[in-house]
Amino acid sequence: MRIGIVSPYSFDVPGGVQLHVRDLAEHFISKGHHVSVLAPADGDTPLPDYVVNAGHAVPVRYNGSVARLSFGPLTAARVGRWVESGRFDLVHIHEPVAPSVSVLALWAVDGPIVATFHSSNLRSRAMQAAYPLLRPSLEKISARIAVSEDARRTVTTHLGGDAVVIPNGVFVERFASAPRRPDWQGTVERPTIAFLGRMEEPRKGMPVLSQALPHILREIPGVRILIAGPGDPDDVREKMTSQAAAACEFLGPVSDEDKARLLASVDVYVAPNTGGESFGIILIEAMSARATVLASDLPAFSRVLHGGDAGELFRNEDPVDLARAVVALLRDPARREQLAAAGRERANAFDWSVVAEDVMAVYETVVFGRPPVRASSEPDSRWGRLLRTGRNSGGT
Amino acid sequence: MDLSWVVSGVALLVLIAWYVSYGAARLDRLHSRVEGALSVLDAQLVRRAEATLELANCGALDAASALILASAASDSLEADTADQTSREAIESDLTQALEVALGEDALAHLRADEAVGAPVLQRVTAANQRVQLARRFLNDAVTDVQRVRRKPGVRLLRLAGHAELPQTFEIDDELPMLGRGD
Repeated sequence: MRIGIVSPYSFDVPGGVQLHVRDLAEHFISKGHHVSVLAPADGDTPLPDYVVNAGHAVPVRYNGSVARLSFGPLTAARVGRWVESGRFDLVHIHEPVAPSVSVLALWAVDGPIVATFHSSNLRSRAMQAAYPLLRPSLEKISARIAVSEDARRTVTTHLGGDAVVIPNGVFVERFASAPRRPDWQGTVERPTIAFLGRMEEPRKGMPVLSQALPHILREIPGVRILIAGPGDPDDVREKMTSQAAAACEFLGPVSDEDKARLLASVDVYVAPNTGGESFGIILIEAMSARATVLASDLPAFSRVLHGGDAGELFRNEDPVDLARAVVALLRDPARREQLAAAGRERANAFDWSVVAEDVMAVYETVVFGRPPVRASSEPDSRWGRLLRTGRNSGGT
Repeated sequence: MDLSWVVSGVALLVLIAWYVSYGAARLDRLHSRVEGALSVLDAQLVRRAEATLELANCGALDAASALILASAASDSLEADTADQTSREAIESDLTQALEVALGEDALAHLRADEAVGAPVLQRVTAANQRVQLARRFLNDAVTDVQRVRRKPGVRLLRLAGHAELPQTFEIDDELPMLGRGD
């Protein structure tokens, strides 16, 4: 199959959507499909050979954060050329309402279109103001995919209709084969627990863990807390008791390899996130690495952990319950082993080989008996349509 | 004074012409999306019925279950595709037939039979998954058409012409015991 994939965000900077696009593309290429990815990038960035540069990316404040986007007539022309020369059986557009290559591609393409919605917060004022303008092009999408139940809810409430939930994938093997690092492994006297993520972002749960530490240390004085991720350690230590601060070791931002090794080495991986998670990809990575997972009982986390079968859950934002669960796990190696084994098994359901099969089922349903993708046939497509849509928006 | 009336009259006409041609093109595109999605669903339903027949005849099920499956599957294959309401009932019946035939024991038995049972079961599972997808995509397209056709301008100018208002396809297609590794 000839597949065209569109990413709205620049490949220069890592991010969830870009990683998803890269992994999906590489999986389909390894299966023998022809894949071309259209994404913004700067001229001098080295790109994988399946990526086509859609143009220079400009940092723009959009939807509450700064994103590197690409737009304007030059980009629109490149999108048009990519569609014409690609001879795709279908085009798969990620974040179709991001004001970047995605929206341009949606306008430029006629034929089988699949769209994946990643974000669970679409509700921006810009989105609502420009809605009449976007609506007709959104009607061209044949199949909608959402990466999580929350993203799906966003689609159904803001855009109407429905979406199929197909989660993010993980290359389970990359984590499963990570070697352990002896200095990160725990002993009976000095067990280790790990925290990953931006420590200054409260919703990642560092404050909850900080408050739980004194309770944990009272029971197990030798425990070591390994903290990986960007942030200033002094800010975190300030808010802890001195004994708790002494138990923490700050590793700073870690590479993908070290992340896998850390997860594989520690006795317990703790995810005390307090909310805003639409999907727990980090939990799946941890389960793949055979870590014993202890996570807050957010709906997204509970779903990933199969209601607690594949990892322990504690009451969200409750440091006392967190401490109780950590102590119980650290004292029960058999339980840890059982959870780690169940988690490793559970992770297989999220492996790219499984997830990409589901995406392929969507592709096959969409292209079935239909002619391949062509450039939008209306003569004065973009600006003409934009004008006309603007005029009749009063009737919507 | 006169001239400005003429100018605004012409402008209004141009605007209406624009609206009509644009609205008609948009509806046309939506209708062809519905037609495409309907033919996909049709093909997937046929595939599911064929896979079910295969399951009935694979010899790994007891005779009574096989008979129930075969009768539901052939009802589906002989269904009148023009009559949506009766077809919905027939397809829901097929889902229910699969549900009763594929109890825990039957599933375990089929999965253990790697030569015949497991691959046939896999085909039924895949076919049912595709029915679910195709139906969801069809219903999305139908909802879009219905929404656009409700717009007053579209109704007033009869932009939809004589095209029938498409209806969503409502059947039970959940077979939770087949799972998808989740």
